[in-house]
Order: sequence, then structure tokens, then C-alpha cells
Amino acid sequence: MNKKNTLRRSMAAMLATVTLGAMALISSTVMAAQGPALKSGDEYMIVANYPNQMHVLDLKTDSIYKTCDMPDRFGPGALQVSPDKKTAYILNNGYEDIYGVDMDTCEVTFHARMAANKKERTKTIYAFALSYDGKELYAVQNPTLMERDHYRVQPTRLAVYSTDAGVNAKPIRTFPSPRLVTAMQVGKDGGLYMAGADIYKMDVKTGEYEVSVPSRNWKRERYVQPDVLNVWAVQTPTQDFTILYTTARFQKGSEDLNSADWLYGYFNINLETGETETKDFGPITEIYFTGTRSPKDSNIMYGVLNRLAKYDIEKQTLLKAAELDHSYYCITVSNDGSKLYLAGTHNHVAVFDADTLERLNTITLPGGDMSTTTAQVFIR
Amino acid sequence: MKNLKLPQLMGGAVLAGLMLQAGVTHAAADAEAIIKNKCLACHSEEQAEPAQFSRMSHQRKSPEGWLMSIARMQVMHGLKISDDERRTLVKHFSDTQGLAPEETAGARYAMERRLNTMETYESSAFEEMCARCHSGARVELQRRPAAEWENLVHFHLGQWPTLEYQALARDRDWMQLALNEMVPQLAADLPLKSASWDKWKSMKKVPMAGRWSFSAQMPGKGDARGVMTITGGKRDQYKVKLEGEFADGSALKGQGSAIVYTGYEWRANLKIDGVKMRQVFAASADGAELTGRMFETVHDEAGMDFTAVREGSAPKLLSVQPEFIRAGSTEVLTLVGTGLGNKLSLGKGLKVMEELYRDDNKVVVQVKASKDAAMGTRSVSAGKANGASLNVFDQIGSVKVVPSFAVARVGGNGGSTPKYNAHFQAEAWMNGADGKAGTDDDMRIGFVPASWHVEPFDAQAEADRDTHFTGKMDAKTGLFTTAAAGPNPERRMSTNNAGNLKVVADVKENGKTLSADGQLIVTVQRWNNPPLP
Ligand code: HEC
Ligand code: HEC
Repeated sequence: MNKKNTLRRSMAAMLATVTLGAMALISSTVMAAQGPALKSGDEYMIVANYPNQMHVLDLKTDSIYKTCDMPDRFGPGALQVSPDKKTAYILNNGYEDIYGVDMDTCEVTFHARMAANKKERTKTIYAFALSYDGKELYAVQNPTLMERDHYRVQPTRLAVYSTDAGVNAKPIRTFPSPRLVTAMQVGKDGGLYMAGADIYKMDVKTGEYEVSVPSRNWKRERYVQPDVLNVWAVQTPTQDFTILYTTARFQKGSEDLNSADWLYGYFNINLETGETETKDFGPITEIYFTGTRSPKDSNIMYGVLNRLAKYDIEKQTLLKAAELDHSYYCITVSNDGSKLYLAGTHNHVAVFDADTLERLNTITLPGGDMSTTTAQVFIR
Repeated sequence: MKNLKLPQLMGGAVLAGLMLQAGVTHAAADAEAIIKNKCLACHSEEQAEPAQFSRMSHQRKSPEGWLMSIARMQVMHGLKISDDERRTLVKHFSDTQGLAPEETAGARYAMERRLNTMETYESSAFEEMCARCHSGARVELQRRPAAEWENLVHFHLGQWPTLEYQALARDRDWMQLALNEMVPQLAADLPLKSASWDKWKSMKKVPMAGRWSFSAQMPGKGDARGVMTITGGKRDQYKVKLEGEFADGSALKGQGSAIVYTGYEWRANLKIDGVKMRQVFAASADGAELTGRMFETVHDEAGMDFTAVREGSAPKLLSVQPEFIRAGSTEVLTLVGTGLGNKLSLGKGLKVMEELYRDDNKVVVQVKASKDAAMGTRSVSAGKANGASLNVFDQIGSVKVVPSFAVARVGGNGGSTPKYNAHFQAEAWMNGADGKAGTDDDMRIGFVPASWHVEPFDAQAEADRDTHFTGKMDAKTGLFTTAAAGPNPERRMSTNNAGNLKVVADVKENGKTLSADGQLIVTVQRWNNPPLP
């Protein structure tokens, strides 16, 4: 929020930082069991988790179809599926590498290290996407020069890779990129939508970009600057790239946050048509990490974190909410819109009826926490 | 929403349990040899005479600050040094590139581990940019030129690339603001070169050995006094022995070892009545007084304000215990200090009925306060010893809970992090001339006994039964002991024993009950507990 936060501060309340120390630094050259190939026409979902695996779930039976071991170390396990639904791309190795994995064989067919040279430590904060035809992969990279006794943070850059470059892929083009980009998706027209301070659209041939959907710089009368955190670029059946925001809208003639309406809303870009939307869908009563609209009824929005909630967008009302056994970060929906799949943190994928929000099933993954993995649903 | 955090993205070096320890340290020549041997793998020697090395020669900070920086070299960069070598370096850097006493003023609470201090800064930019993850005091206890503040910004963002994506960072251009606005501001407010440091550096430092009369005050226990004997002094290392008592007559006794950094930063590790405790004191420039806090090593929330005066220095009165007397009553008062003279001056309306005990550091007297003694604070002296005061009141008008806001943390339960409990005191106030409580002319009386309990802070806390799950309040002492760490299957969503409580103190006065409340947030463990919060 752009208004001063009035929370009481005390030193004892300072953010307790979570150590990444728990992650074992195991670098394993993977010789995974390959498991069965995927079947054309079947619907699947992929997720990743500790210690370092990717699971393919069969959504007909809501069970694990196969498990592929991933190279190097886990984290964050963000995923994108290629347009031909054969290859899964995973951001891993502590945000420093992207791997392409053939889902039929579990074989790593693509590998790009984000660092351009040995002196760099370069992280991609969830920001990668595939071109509409699957031939190129885009990543926003945050490089730091690790000098011997000091660091120098470098400007962020967009690196373009050819997906057929193999396991030692180098960028074929790079461009300066805005900072703070997380989720990204590519439109049918080839434009790269990058969610950062605003949602930008970049021409991946020239590196030129413009604001496609204003967020930090939106001009909505009586609204304060929205807060946006989206690290889950969920590929939806409807080709919608959806990002939630929270904001406050002052009462008419007022500048007082205490009387303002606190609202949830979404930015949407239809990747097929390029149509964009900025729309409130309900009052803030709790936090959601991700939200997605029903492919059956675009007026229905689902959100998840500590509860699973269902909203009527036009009426801006909460229709239903389901209690959960623990937090889930990432929500996805089956292609026909009948089932919801909740993933992220812990090792349970929770399956819900999209209409009744009745819990149908729990798929327990071998291994540990899913952390901030992106769940992706697709039909082979 | 401000609470929206990127989960699990910020890794911190684990500096838990890291403490300044007395022990072998070596001289400056040894320090230089260690630097040349161990640091030059990554750092460079910029100049031979006087020796100057990259990065480390261009910063000044507290002993805890140096400890953290060097420990970071070990944890993050793989520097290999022994504990002895690290001690030698911390001592060397603190002595040659420390902070002058006045440069630490206003930020000592961080070294004293008063973790419930509420920090407020005029600059909301500073607060949001630099005092969000750690205390602002951690920053204020450093001095650097612009180039070194700039290096620090690059270190932060380079080490934690997700920093700029977090709440209160992603709403602005963090990196640009940090480099272009914070760096110049920090370099101006906290510069490497200062007149105070130049002066302090050249001053002759006074050794600490001697006998010291001390006065202390501890929540839950009340006033304390006694004598601290300091011996030794070779390489600023001392032995320390504490012999004292609480107001209730129980003993406050123990011993340990200490080290002095920068000529005035006293750090001691003691065992008091079987409990490990630490002292973080600052010596005054003339070496006559020590001021700070003594606290339990494991539970640093349990501690006492502490002042001591050296026997044989100018006469000084540290405190009158208790610090108040009711008009019309007769009470036993203890005067604590050193060089206490025979002639007690308590001001008009207060009469010494009997002297019960006297030595050079302590005088115990029975005092009668007449009904018409003037209300308010008055200075007290014992011969030439002055410096303390006594509050005369007729009745308690209102009570405050101190601290009014506190954070406690669950812990234990087999985990590596102990509980972080909370200690409250009831502070009595009398009404001023307007006869109304809560107005500007109210006068402080002091800490009084109260009966304590907790209530749910709000409807949410009530629904979640926070009072039941978060811990237990001791009705007599105001000590809140938190519940065990970890998920609790009895709670909604098996959440942990966190909660939001109202802390209530009831004080009996003239047959009526005066109540006051404060807020206590019980939250999860602090995973990373560095020497400076
Ligand atoms: C393995 C390499 C390495 C070694 C050995 C090393 N350092 Fe460093 N040092 C670094 C790096 C990298 C930085 C910059 C990043 C940082 O601040 O942590 C740094 C920064 C510093 C800083 C600046 C910290 C700040 O807050 O700005 C100090 C002071 C320092 N080192 C002291 C030392 C001392 C003293 C030693 C030897 C006892 C030492 N270093 C050994 C790599 C090293
Ligand atoms: C995202 C959280 C975060 C923010 C924001 C932040 N810091 Fe820090 N800072 C840290 C952590 C974590 C460390 C501890 C590094 C270590 O383990 O030694 C640290 C260490 C430090 C230190 C001690 C370094 C040393 O070795 O002497 C200083 C000084 C400091 N920060 C100043 C600042 C300033 C100035 C700003 C604002 C520009 C700032 N911090 C903003 C997290 C933060």
C-alpha cells in the first residue's frame, strides 16, 4: 500500500528469516526410473517437490502416474509445460538453472544455467516462459557480480534461448529488462507479458517493451496503489494469464484508509486475443496466493491460501469457502472446469469439486514439501 | 497487503548462539598476522604502513557488529579461523575501529538485547528500507563512508535477490532508492570519520579493576543492590564477582569473566545462582560508572537494569529503593551508592526515624513521611553523594503496564530454540494538580505489585482460544511463560501456539482496583538470532 503502514513495530517482531540451510547440497547426476510414456488425450498435472522430483499425476484417477528425479538441487520447482505437452521446464537448483525434461522418458533434454560466466551468481525469480510455438524460452535474470571481497548487483536482463539448444544452452539474444519481474507468459502474437511493477509486454525480437496493464502506476480514481505478488504463472485451459491484486478504494471525497473498502481483484490477459482486464472481485477477508477463473463460467473466481474460496465476480461476493487442513499456495483447474487441484507447501495435492467445493481426494506425494512449485494441468 | 510474504526465500546465515566470549586474545601484531594469513585470500592489502586492508579498514562498528561480520565470513564465504583468532580480531577491530561512547547513545538497547524496544524513526524511508528485517540499531551502530554503505547495499541485494520483491520493497524501486537516497543519507548521518571517535581514540582508558557498588531492578524480582568485585585487567580481561541481594532478601550472587572492548564496552559471562548470565555495560569516560543490562544467557528477555559506581571515586547515590514513599506512612528505604555520607537529605516532610544499617555503599533507614509532604519527585543525598531521587505520593491515580506492547515466542518442545517469554511490570502514577488520570501533569511513582492475568485481545483471539493455548501468566510476578513450539493438533488447522493477548494488571488501592492493560503477541520462534537483532 502506498499509505504508511501503521502496524506497531518492535524489534522482537522483526521478520524471522528462514534459512535455506536445510536444503542439502546434493548434486546428483540423475539416472531416474523412466516410467511409462504419457498417453495422448489423457489429462495430467505436474508438480515438483523435495528432495528433488517432478511428479506427473493422472487426473482421471487422481493418482501418481510417474515420478522423475531432477538434476542438481530443488528450489523453487517452478514449472512450465511446452505447447506440445511433451516437455516440462523447471526452474531449480536454487533459482539458478532451467531444465527441460521429456515427460515420457524423464530425460533432461534442455539445460540453461542463468549465470553468463563464472563470476556471476544469477537467479531467476520465477520469471520464465515459453513462446507460443515452444521454440523459444525466455527468462528474466538477476545477475550479481561476485567480486572477491564485494558484490555488484547488475541490471536485470531478458535472455532468450532456443529450446532445441540442448543441455548447454546459451542465450541467442539478451535485452535489458525491467526489475521485479516474476510471472511471465507469451501471447499468441508473440508478445511476452511480464508481471513486474506493472505488467509489461515485450517484443522478444527487439527487446522493446511497454506497459500493457498498469499496476503500480494504475490510474484508478480513489484507488491506492495495488499490492501484487504472483510467482505462480499457471497455464490455464482458457489461455488466461491471471494475477491477483489487493487494493483499497477510498470512499467518495475521503482519503481515509480506515473507512476505505479493501478489495481483491485480478489482472487478466487473454493470451489468445490479447484482451486485458483489471477487475475487483470481492472484499478482502483473507489472503490468497493464487486465483484462477472457471473455464466453465468466467464469472467464477477461485482463490486459495488458508481456505479455498469461490467468488461471483460480477456480484463481488463470496459464494462459498472450504476449510483446509493446511495452507496451499497454488490453485489449478481441470480442463472441463469440474475439479480444482491445490498444491504447494507440504506434499499433498488436494482435489475439490469445483461446484460444491467438496473435497474429493488427496494425492500424497512421496518426498517432502512442494515449496512454491507451480502446478500445471494439461491434456497430452 | 503488508503480510503477503514470499515464502522461504530469504536465507540468513545462522548465527544462533554466537556470542562475545572472554578468552584468549592476542595483541595487535597478532591480529595483523591473522588478517594477512586468513583474509587476504579474498581481501587485498591496500597499504603497508599503517596497514590497511580492503573493506575491513573502512568501517567502524560495535564489538557485536565485528563479531557478526567476521562470523559471516566464516558462514557465507568459507573463511576458516579458530575461535581464538576470531576473538583476537573482534578485539582488535573493536579497539581500533570501534564507536565512541556517544556514537552508541540511543542504540545500546540492541547490544543490551532489549528486544521489545519499539523503534521509531523520523525518516519513514529509513524505517521501511533499512529497519524492516532487522533493527535500525544494527545500522546505527556502524560508521562507513559512502563507498562502504554502497557495498553494503550490493551485498544485501546480491545475497538475497528476492529482497526487492518483498512487501515494502516491491512497491518502490528498492535498488535505486537504496543506492541513490539511502547511501548518501547514511554516509551523512553515520560517517566513518568523526570528532568523537578521534577524541575517544586518543583518550587514556581507565582499567576496570576495583570494587563497585551496584543497584539493579528486575521485573518479577524488584530492586537489587550489592557489590561487584573486578580483578585482573591484563589484555582487558577480568574476573568478576557479584555479591548482592534482592529487596526481598534473596541472594544475587555469582562470578565469571569479562572483557573490555574499545576501552569502555564491558561484556561479562557469569553464573548467578546456577544460571548463566551476561552483562553488557558501558563504562563512563572517567571509568567511575558502569551502566547497562544483565540478563540470562539463554533467556535474554529475563534481565535487569544495572548501574554501578566504583568505590573510591567521587561520592554518588545510585538509587533509593524503593523509589517512592506514601505521604503519611513509615517505610524502610535503602540508599545505594558509594561514599554515602552521614547527613541524609530527604527533603521537607520526610524524617529519618532510625538508621538500621550503614556502610560506605548502603544505608538503610526507617523514614516517616508526613501527611503534608510535598508530592512529586525530590532529589536525595547522603552527604556529598547525590544523583538519585525519591517520589512522594498520596495515592495511586492510575497504572500502566510496562512494556505496553511485547512479543513473546513459543519454543522448546525438543526444538533448538528456547521459549522467549515476556515480563511485565505495573507502573503506578499519581494524578497531577488537575486530579485527573492520564493527563500531562501525572507523576510517575514507580513499579508496584499487581495481580496479573491475560484476556483475548480481540474476537479472533477469543474464537481461537488464544488464552488457553499460548502460555501461562504468573499472577504474582507478571511473567508470561509461552507454550511449546510446533503444531498443536488441538488448534484449528493444527496451527502453532501463537496468539494475541491482552495483558491485564490489577492494583489494589484504597479498597478499589485500578486496572491497566497491554498487548502481548505470542508468535513463532526466531530462527535466526544474531548478536544484534
Ligand atoms: C573466502 C573469501 C573471504 C575471506 C577469506 C574473507 N572475506 Fe571478508 N568478504 C568477502 C566477501 C565476498 C565480502 C563481500 C560480501 C559480504 O559483505 O559478505 C566480504 C566483506 C567483508 C567485510 C565488509 C562487510 C560489510 O558489512 O560491509 C568485512 C569487514 C570483511 N569482509 C572482513 C573480513 C575479515 C576480517 C576476514 C579475515 C578474518 C575476511 N573478511 C575474510 C570474502 C572473504
Ligand atoms: C530483506 C531484509 C533486509 C533489509 C531490507 C535490510 N537488511 Fe541489513 N541485513 C539483513 C540480514 C539478513 C543481515 C545479516 C547478514 C549476516 O548474516 O551477517 C543484514 C546485515 C546488515 C548489517 C550488518 C553487516 C555487517 O556485517 O556489518 C548492516 C549494517 C545492515 N544490514 C544495514 C542495512 C541497511 C543500511 C539497510 C537499508 C539499505 C538494510 N540493512 C536493509 C537483512 C536486511
